[in-house]
Amino acid sequence: MNSLVQAITDMREEEAVRTAKEMLDTGVSPLQVLADCREAMSAVGRKFEKGEYFVSELILAGEILKAISAEVRPRLQQTAQTKQGPKVLLGTVKGDIHDIGKDIVNFMLDVNSFQVTDLGVDVAPSVFVEQIKQREPLVVALSGFLTLSYTSMKETVEAIAAAGLRDKVKIMIGGGTVDQQVCSYAGADAFGKDAMAAVALAKQWTEGKIHAQQNVR
Amino acid sequence: MPSKTFVDPDVGKAPAQLYAERMKRFVDVYQLKQPDRIPIQLGFGYMLAEMYGVTRQEQHENGAKELEMMEKAGACFQPDSIMGLFNNPAVSLAVGDLMTKFPGHGLDPNGSFQFVEGEYMKAEDYDAFIDDPADWGIRKYWPRVFSELGGMGLLPPLGMATFGVYGLYTLGSLAAPPLAKALRVMAHAVEAQAAADQRAVQTVQRMAELGFGPPTFMGALIEAPFDLMSDTLRGMRGIMLDMHRHPDKLLAAQEKVLRFQIEYAVAWCNATGIKVAFIPLHRGSDGFMSLAQFEKFYWPQLKAMQVGLVEAGIMPFVFYEGVWDQRLRYLADLPKGKTTGLFQSSDIFKVKRAVGDTMCIMGGMPNSLLQAGTAEQVRDLTKRLCAEVGKGGGYIMSVGVGEMEGCRPELVKAWVEATKEYGVYH
Repeated sequence: MNSLVQAITDMREEEAVRTAKEMLDTGVSPLQVLADCREAMSAVGRKFEKGEYFVSELILAGEILKAISAEVRPRLQQTAQTKQGPKVLLGTVKGDIHDIGKDIVNFMLDVNSFQVTDLGVDVAPSVFVEQIKQREPLVVALSGFLTLSYTSMKETVEAIAAAGLRDKVKIMIGGGTVDQQVCSYAGADAFGKDAMAAVALAKQWTEGKIHAQQNVR
Repeated sequence: MPSKTFVDPDVGKAPAQLYAERMKRFVDVYQLKQPDRIPIQLGFGYMLAEMYGVTRQEQHENGAKELEMMEKAGACFQPDSIMGLFNNPAVSLAVGDLMTKFPGHGLDPNGSFQFVEGEYMKAEDYDAFIDDPADWGIRKYWPRVFSELGGMGLLPPLGMATFGVYGLYTLGSLAAPPLAKALRVMAHAVEAQAAADQRAVQTVQRMAELGFGPPTFMGALIEAPFDLMSDTLRGMRGIMLDMHRHPDKLLAAQEKVLRFQIEYAVAWCNATGIKVAFIPLHRGSDGFMSLAQFEKFYWPQLKAMQVGLVEAGIMPFVFYEGVWDQRLRYLADLPKGKTTGLFQSSDIFKVKRAVGDTMCIMGGMPNSLLQAGTAEQVRDLTKRLCAEVGKGGGYIMSVGVGEMEGCRPELVKAWVEATKEYGVYH
């Protein structure tokens, strides 16, 4: 682990940003700095999984990454390689504007190399359907905190089925007090209690399917 | 299967007798004593609108209609205590509150009331807040969060306006049109909230006349100091960064918040005679912060708040939202038999083992089971809750939140019956 990776992983914000600047000033390639950031974010994700880090560290890590990206961007000649991982469509269902759990799931999927499209909060079933057609994800993740979201999740799954897309995607739900009862009620494929469960499900569902998806493109 | 031979022991009793019996059940369990039977509270929330076919907007705004629905539901289900919704949008609408969204106002008429969190106080505002929270709050914060109170930003510094005859000479500045408008809005908001308070009191009185015990959430509404800073001022993102970037300022601000909240709760309880403070918790549960952060930024302040209230003769009724399984041992330090905890998604059996001799426990029935389970599953869980969590008393049967939207009436009926059957102490 080099000093940049270490500083980010240990949440030393000022030192991390300063180190990144120094690296760029002394001729280290911007792509290398970004690669270090990715390595550090994976380490942060692992600490979150182990229960050593919590929401505050994920948010701070995001802030550090933003500050370093601002330094890197002007010096970037070529665009960084786009991610090749399986696609996941994520959003908080209609009528619910809670985003904390969804954002954590986004972070954890992202550091595990998934290509996540976050549709935000209060997302109507029709928007999920439209985005599935457009982006062809393998996994759809529905988030909701309110008890009202159970019904919205069910309506979203029904809309996906009505559009003839149900067998094209695996659907997971999570957030608040979601459990197996809610999962059956909503007609989802599985539920997850936390962001690690979301990653495990997404991995399980997409294993061996990445290449198939790439071939289509 | 629901037992077909069930005869409700409460049917046929006079309301005054029912009220006395139900009231005694709550008084007993609050003191960790064993009552005659485990009390059950139905916090119906939006389930009332669903059962009786009105919009959620109407339920929030039409107090008479809500009372009528509570009377019907009370007669039908016969719980020990019953609750509808806790809030009316009138005051929020009057001031242009940007921190809440109500059905029919920025949401579908059947949408669900929600808070809109934001970074309404910036990190650079900490010094001004700590120096004088009220002055900063009225002149800087109100214009940011209440769209109709923008004129308050034109007030002179409150210290200047307060003291001596020279202070009186500043009052002319209140005639500036935006400020004059803000003051009129305030007067209207005061009337709206006073009317809502009066309706709430009438509802509680009417339900008591019909024989129902007190709604458990009724009390001075305050927050853990960390949560007040997070929910209303810094937003979750801001406060999470503050623990890393501005730890000392966050602690200093919480000290101020702790002081004025206790002072308010004591005054409210003295004025109403209701010696309860309702404290819904948000960011202290498992997952948001580490135990080290919890020990520094959350628990000492919340514990001081609860101890302060108990010393003033007030019962903290604390809503432990989310999961608290990893931090139950801290709760065991609270004064014994002086507080109540409503647990949303914690392992309720673990809660009983950890704090059963410390506080009265409420909760245990998942909303999802009343929504998508079977009567048999509901009865089985109720039986287990009564036997294990109800053991020795100090337990109130309830769902884990003050809301039962989407729950099926026949399952709720089976649940109440099972509680009256298995919850009897012999």
